[in-house]
Amino acid sequence: MKIVILLKTAITALKVNVLRSCLTMLGIIIGVAAVIIMVAMGAGAQQKVDDQIKSLGGNVFFVTGAFRQSGGARSASVVKINEDDANLIEKQVPGVEAAAPYLSASGQVIYGNLNWSTEIDGIDNRYFVVRNWDMANGREFTSAEINRGSKVAIIGERLRSELFGASDPIGQTVRVTNFNVTIIGVLAAKGQDARGEDQDDVIFLPIKTVRNKITGVSATNPKSVRFIQVSAYDGEDMDYIEDEMSRLLRQRMRIPVGGDDMFRIRNVSEMIATRAETIQVFNTLLAWVASVSLVVGGIGIMNIMLVSVTERTREIGLRMAVGAKPSDILYQFLIESIVLCGLGGFIGVMIAYGFVFMGNQYDIGAGGIIETQVVLLSLGFSGLIGVFFGYYPALKASRLAPIDALRYE
Amino acid sequence: MSQPLLKVRQAKKVYAMGDEQVWALKGVDLDIHQGEFVAIMGSSGSGKSTMMNLLGCLDIASEGSIAFAGQELSSLSKNELASVRNQRIGFVFQQFNLLPRTSALDNVTLPLLYSKVPESDWHKRATQCLENVGLGSRMGHHPGQLSGGQQQRVAIARALINDPLMILADEPTGALDTQTGLEVMALFQALNQQGKTIILVTHEPDIAQFAKRKLTFRDGELISDEQNSNVRQAALEGKA
Ligand SMILES: Nc1ncnc2c1ncn2[C@@H]1O[C@H](COP(=O)(O)OP(=O)(O)OP(=O)(O)O)[C@@H](O)[C@H]1O
Ligand SMILES: [Mg+2]
Repeated sequence: MKIVILLKTAITALKVNVLRSCLTMLGIIIGVAAVIIMVAMGAGAQQKVDDQIKSLGGNVFFVTGAFRQSGGARSASVVKINEDDANLIEKQVPGVEAAAPYLSASGQVIYGNLNWSTEIDGIDNRYFVVRNWDMANGREFTSAEINRGSKVAIIGERLRSELFGASDPIGQTVRVTNFNVTIIGVLAAKGQDARGEDQDDVIFLPIKTVRNKITGVSATNPKSVRFIQVSAYDGEDMDYIEDEMSRLLRQRMRIPVGGDDMFRIRNVSEMIATRAETIQVFNTLLAWVASVSLVVGGIGIMNIMLVSVTERTREIGLRMAVGAKPSDILYQFLIESIVLCGLGGFIGVMIAYGFVFMGNQYDIGAGGIIETQVVLLSLGFSGLIGVFFGYYPALKASRLAPIDALRYE
Repeated sequence: MSQPLLKVRQAKKVYAMGDEQVWALKGVDLDIHQGEFVAIMGSSGSGKSTMMNLLGCLDIASEGSIAFAGQELSSLSKNELASVRNQRIGFVFQQFNLLPRTSALDNVTLPLLYSKVPESDWHKRATQCLENVGLGSRMGHHPGQLSGGQQQRVAIARALINDPLMILADEPTGALDTQTGLEVMALFQALNQQGKTIILVTHEPDIAQFAKRKLTFRDGELISDEQNSNVRQAALEGKA
């Protein structure tokens, strides 16, 4: 028998009791919608994390100083790491692409009558390598500027738009806290970081300039930095690099065997990835819970199909009397159950799309990404539920003896 | 004489009612030839319907043999029986047994769903059959929108759609008034004239008078088998 006719027969039968069909589908609708929404939210969270890791610049470590441990009590003084540590790591640890010293401050940047409070960071060009950050306009620092601590600056996209709007900032002079700097470059936009802060709201000066003019030079650690950001080449063994850096720094700081580190190395990509994993695990769990409701929906389908077979026993008898084979009856009811589930699945998908679209539109909680294969999978799965839970009632119908079915009261 | 269309030998049918066994047929011998018009009579519970169900491949005999067009029915599979019902037998029931909420046309088309007739021919065939029973103008009507007589004529059209060898009708006039009953009988007589074998079960001796041969059952046995010497013509009486 042709599939089109089977479908037509199924739809006609389902239309006889629209309300019942809808209620029966509800379990599937909710199940499919919930599964897709959960998976979409998981994918959204993953995407966000991927973006963050990408904006971070790939495989990145943060190396910071740690509190000096003295006889069990923490002393207030922090062991500062410095530019030499950065140079050493870059030179001696295999697999390291670049190690960028970094010093930070914040304050006002004034241009004409506009002023803007922003982050003021001291760096050298290696920072752009580590962050994988391109120039949109102008140039990077020269080594002379770095060594001398010149009053030149490279600004982020946000700061550029706040202060300069449509005009060209290159060559312009802005006032940073209490001194003037000349703008030599503008960076490409980078967007938000892992904590949702705008990374483009920044002005970069040579590290020496920031140290001399803003943070001050430490007597004990004149080349101090806030942290060193280290990037590894793709595919390098991050654990190995971490161990090597640690070994190098311990050696350099002359920490005895068994002594506590006076620095901290954090694998940032890994931290973000770990957090993402937690979100993923949670969402996966919810998706499983949702798929349980799919199964419950399937049981509802089975229930209604059994009722339907009983109600239509005489119809089955008649069909058999005019020549329907047991397999014809089997397919008829199987298709009916698949249509019920498939339609429920389709409506569920639509609802999921609507929900995720609204979520993204109004930014309530995490955004979602609906992947086509997830949709196809849930549609396929609900079809399968139709087959699985529809099979028994259909089989029951097909096994009726024609005369018994025909005589059924 | 040619080989009979139906050859029944010692057909028995037993129903189990709990521990008790009910012999609905106790060994029937019967030959029915192509082109006959047979009425089966008998009191209630005598086994008429049981006999019809066996002849129509709706049920299988507990014992004995029934050959239809030379083929032993007990040797056929479920699928083969379905195909015999589809291709060679048309059923007409007392309660019409039409699909509700389904147009007359679609009801008549139903047996074609299970046949090998190409879909492109369905509409033409169904229309033709409905016109033959005089319902050409009611093709879109649902059973609920048709009178009892019209519904029975739709059922007859459905029985005819695969051009069967024989038509089995179990009390086809039972739910109809006399006048509509006559119309239905006229239809059967016309079909018989065209060569179709017709077997009908009826309670009413009047109706049996339209058949050429009368069988009488009692307690599961065939007690009389006689030719009707005085066949009434329903078409003439209907007009009168
Ligand atoms: N499915 C069944 N289960 C048990 N007994 C049955 C069944 N069908 C028929 N019988 C019994 O078989 C006998 C014959 O029944 P059948 O239906 O053939 O009678 P009938 O001649 O058609 O009667 P009626 O004129 O009332 O339709 C009856 O005694 C009936 O009770
Ligand atoms: Mg009967």
